[in-house]
Amino acid sequence: MAQFGSGLTLFLSLMVEAMPFLIFGVLVSGILLLFVNERRLIALFPKHPLLGALAGSLFGFLFPVCECGNVPVARRLLIQGASAPVAIGFLLAAPTINPVVIWATWTAFPDQPEIVILRIVFSLAIATLVGWVFSSQSDLKPFLQPSIAALIPTAPVAKISESTQTSSLLQSGTFFLDQPGKPIPLDPAHLDTVLAMSTPNRKSVWDRLPLLLDNTVQELREMGGVLVLGSLLATLLQVAVPRNIILAIGQGPVSSVLAMVGLGGIISICSTVDAFFALSFASTFTSGALLAFLVFGPMFDLKSLGLLLMVFKTRAVLYIFALVCQLTVLFTLVTNLWFS
Amino acid sequence: MISKRLPTKYEPYLADGLVTLALLSWGILIVHYWHSGKLGLLIHPNYYGLTLAAGCFLLMLACLQLLKIWQRLTRPRSQHLSLLSPTGMSGIMLLAALIGLGVTPRPFTSQTALQRGLQDTTMVTRARPQVFRTSSKPESRTLLEWIRTLDVYPEPDAYKGQKVNVDGFVVYPESLPENYLTLTRFVISCCAADAYPVGLPVKLKQTRKTYAADAWLTVKGEMITETLNGQRQLVIQATDLKPIPEPDNPYYY
Repeated sequence: MAQFGSGLTLFLSLMVEAMPFLIFGVLVSGILLLFVNERRLIALFPKHPLLGALAGSLFGFLFPVCECGNVPVARRLLIQGASAPVAIGFLLAAPTINPVVIWATWTAFPDQPEIVILRIVFSLAIATLVGWVFSSQSDLKPFLQPSIAALIPTAPVAKISESTQTSSLLQSGTFFLDQPGKPIPLDPAHLDTVLAMSTPNRKSVWDRLPLLLDNTVQELREMGGVLVLGSLLATLLQVAVPRNIILAIGQGPVSSVLAMVGLGGIISICSTVDAFFALSFASTFTSGALLAFLVFGPMFDLKSLGLLLMVFKTRAVLYIFALVCQLTVLFTLVTNLWFS
Repeated sequence: MISKRLPTKYEPYLADGLVTLALLSWGILIVHYWHSGKLGLLIHPNYYGLTLAAGCFLLMLACLQLLKIWQRLTRPRSQHLSLLSPTGMSGIMLLAALIGLGVTPRPFTSQTALQRGLQDTTMVTRARPQVFRTSSKPESRTLLEWIRTLDVYPEPDAYKGQKVNVDGFVVYPESLPENYLTLTRFVISCCAADAYPVGLPVKLKQTRKTYAADAWLTVKGEMITETLNGQRQLVIQATDLKPIPEPDNPYYY
């Protein structure tokens, strides 16, 4: 009974502390997706592969989307002509390198600034490196799902049937998903219709507010649900698993990192609030392991896997997974073995 | 899922209704915790404002949703890719909020203190704030100030004979003899998830059974040095132990 009581307190504290950050993340990304024209921004990206990858990784500062919102945005970037390093850099870094997530991480670890700083440094380094690696593939199309590859601007403009969809594009984390195989018209006029919400003068602010409401409620529902499940799992691991087992895994420099990479991949908790989840392991796991969770989870987890496979072919997803996983383990092991 | 069994035209209403209820109950839960003072059990006071704003936002969002349903603007939305159906997700959120509303959260107990390593000397990953101010008089130091003073200058003999007046709750560590208990407090830096226990052993004149585990006490006495479990450490030799009510906010920050 006492266990249940402290478990409930733990669970509720995670939820109550994470809720404002979740709302903030959802709101800001919704507002930016609906009110900012990213096509103009794409033109500003550097052409050099390494600089492009770095710029793409930092693009999250303008589009603070968590890992369920970044895949559709990365896909849209690709379709609108962003280079592979830019898109991959954005895809991997945006869920971490953005103001909301950095703020939340700082809130969770006020006494351990190294967690906040190394999370940013590692995520940025991994995203930039992987983006750079993908630049060696001059034509990304063999890596993309055929329906996406057909939409890349360098392709000869294809005749495509009339537009069937308008507004579902506008919901982050939602669009494209309910219509596999239905290409989006390349015809600029149609594209404009589809992307109406990213063209600021098409609709008045008042017309967009209901869309913002829909977007906010949908995302809160989905991420709030995952947050509940994630907090529940964190609580169960704390309360139900004997402390000596947790300590045995959590204090080993290698075992703790591997355990946390695994947990980060499975648990799929939104990057806006994953710092609070990690916090509940702060007393039992090594700093490297916490970092592994905070760096790997947002880049690659079960939830984003489904989304990634809708843009990339399995082979490309495997490459991304292998690179990200190895780099995360390498960086965090170095942290554990040499710096702590 | 329930929605499958209902006629299609009700589905969007069910989904929208459920998510509205989930948002509403989370809003109510947060505002209720703030109003009843229970928020202090869960999070650091620095974040009261932020959390309360989130609660109010959720209430506002729920009202807007109600308005939307009322105006029958609802249309079936496109499908989400998610681990569970949208209705399931709303259901999970709603259930969690209802549990929170139904069961009052309690402060952590002595069992949690032991589980969280009150006795461990191996807590290598826990960083402590480097800066602190401590009261100049030993008898006005709190338990946390004692621990932080010890962190900075760990030689127990330096504090021998100093007067002590601290409060906390009773923990029975298995490793200590019958006439010892550990007076304990939890410290949080963000929320209850990162709470860690700090405590000092208290030497009693009789068996510790007089003071139940989890009971709150004010302990007066003086510092002595003893070797417990092969480790020389600072111990409070109690002269006066008074039961006190559990404080509204049991944490140190």
